[in-house]
Amino acid sequence: MKTEPNVIEVENLTVAFGDFKAVDGISFYVKRGEIFGFLGANGAGKTTTIRCICGLLNPTSGTVLVDGKDVSSHTAVLKPRIGYMSQKFTLYPDLTVRENLLFAGSLYGLRRKDIKPRAEELMRFIGLSQHLNEPVKLLSGGVKQMVALAATLLHNPDLIFLDEPTAGTSPITRADFWRLIRTLAQNGKTVFVTTHYMDEAEYCGRIVLMERGRIIATGTPEELKKQFFPVPPVELVFTQPRQASVREDLQRLNLGTAENFSGGLRVRVTDMEGFKAYAQTREGVFTYRPVAPTLEDVFLKAVSGRNAQ
Amino acid sequence: MKLFFRRVFSVAAKEYKHILRDPFTLVVALVLPLVFVGMFGFVIDLDYKHMRLYVRDNDQTSVSRRFLQEVSSSGYFDQTPLHSPSLADAALQKNNTPAVLIIKPGFGRHVKTGDPSSPGRLQLLTDGTDNVQASIIQIYMRGIVEATTALFAGEDAPAASSRIRTRFLFNPELSSRWFIVPALSTVIIGLLAIMLTALTVAKEWENGSMELLLSTPVRPAEIILGKLIPYFLLSLFDVLVVFVLALTVFRIPFEGSFLLYMAACAIYVTGALALGLVISVVTRQQQAAIQFAFAVGLLPSFIFSGFIFPIENMPLFFQYFTALFPQRWFLLISRTLFLSDAGLAPLAPAFWGIGLFAVGMITLAVFKFKTDVEP
Repeated sequence: MKTEPNVIEVENLTVAFGDFKAVDGISFYVKRGEIFGFLGANGAGKTTTIRCICGLLNPTSGTVLVDGKDVSSHTAVLKPRIGYMSQKFTLYPDLTVRENLLFAGSLYGLRRKDIKPRAEELMRFIGLSQHLNEPVKLLSGGVKQMVALAATLLHNPDLIFLDEPTAGTSPITRADFWRLIRTLAQNGKTVFVTTHYMDEAEYCGRIVLMERGRIIATGTPEELKKQFFPVPPVELVFTQPRQASVREDLQRLNLGTAENFSGGLRVRVTDMEGFKAYAQTREGVFTYRPVAPTLEDVFLKAVSGRNAQ
Repeated sequence: MKLFFRRVFSVAAKEYKHILRDPFTLVVALVLPLVFVGMFGFVIDLDYKHMRLYVRDNDQTSVSRRFLQEVSSSGYFDQTPLHSPSLADAALQKNNTPAVLIIKPGFGRHVKTGDPSSPGRLQLLTDGTDNVQASIIQIYMRGIVEATTALFAGEDAPAASSRIRTRFLFNPELSSRWFIVPALSTVIIGLLAIMLTALTVAKEWENGSMELLLSTPVRPAEIILGKLIPYFLLSLFDVLVVFVLALTVFRIPFEGSFLLYMAACAIYVTGALALGLVISVVTRQQQAAIQFAFAVGLLPSFIFSGFIFPIENMPLFFQYFTALFPQRWFLLISRTLFLSDAGLAPLAPAFWGIGLFAVGMITLAVFKFKTDVEP
């Protein structure tokens, strides 16, 4: 595997609004051509971080380098290379799709005659050619998001930031979006995407987990799963009527935390030997099998681990 | 540079489409000037005519009757006879009576002989609660008395030779409408221009599209100029509407150079539009912006422009202070060009006034334009 240079390097980034630190001393890097996932609940500081990298917000302290250049002093050079799709819908509702795309493109200095074929190509890529002449306000939420994506890609940026692109859209739109994101990465684009859907994070090359302005974990999905789950979680199915005491026992014996799961419990085991011993004492009450951890498990464990500190 | 103009043009083209599709902007731009001109033009009338005047003629001579005829035909007064002198006080205490005129016996004899030693035989009682009206009544009445005296005294009377003869140039009829309508164009055009642009930047912030603009390489100057252009054209159209209304509906003469007037309008409108943009850039909220725009557009037009309060009567500090407001300068240009055929030279300071304001406001809008999304 050849090592790609880091296209984004963030060092000790802090953004404070008054006393509130939206981002609190985070550092990470993004490699060229990867799908980089930025995960966290709402208010974790994801959008603030993206805005800093895109030059829309000035850091209170710390540095943000894109291709080794400081963002705040090189905005004019860097902006044409960046495509940013905001979490909020930012197109003009009274203009048609085509007018919006022409306008967005022209701000990058593209000529009308160059934008037109590119806009049509993009709408085909996205699969929405039939909407080109409709005012944006008449489109459904999913289609709007797709149009916003097209506007982001119009000037052919090699660094693409998508802030919650799938929030509030249907499962079908979400699947479409991720199909497009993968295609973009295959074409050599660097895609930086934030989401709070943990299942989507599985598609990312590398992810960063954020909580309350800080990074709580970073790595590939596999690395994170290994890091947080040296012991795999266990799915526990009751063979007799459900026994509430099992859950309490696990907690009391400090064997792990459990959540309800269809027909049983999903247990993030902390002490496998202890759990096995406990399972023997309850033979006939339940069966169990180790399962692969999901990123949701990772996130919950990472957050609970931090809160316990 | 080519890129600069291309981006200015695309912002302007986009803004033009917003205007066409937004009924609110179109109503503000096309209907409001008609409403304003109609409202102000007809309602504000500083001429006092047909004032009620109670009259008691105790002289009852041909002179006093002729005098009352003159009072009637002046058009300023509507006479009502007063049957008893004791009713004079009661009449004045009723709020609708601005004045009572009592002609004393001997008035006729005094006028005919022109004897300067005999005492005045006319008494005018005025309601001083409206002192403007009271002094105007006094002035009008003095004029009528003089005219009547001259009528009976003949050409060779000594009093006639020392009388001041006043001729009003440029507005010979001293019609207040001639004075007001050119000033009105200042208020209306200025207010409209500020309101048109005050929403535009704030709308981008509320709509979220500012984030799109800021993530692209477009620069504040390009956005500001791009937004100015379509509203500039729209405002010039309003200028023409107001101009045509002034000439046709109110029959105001236009004596000056039309080109000079349009040049002044273009500069004045640019300054007002840029001020609207400054408000929009600073407030970032449509509601706050429109309130600001209304206050900033309306108050100085009335208070510091000389529209209502003559600048020459202000304390010295305020006389200089008014120089900051383009309304003051444009009002001067507008009145001068409507009513006289002055050229550029006497108006040069006024042109500097509106020009510097426009440049200052555009600069302020560009520099105040936030290029990051910090709340």
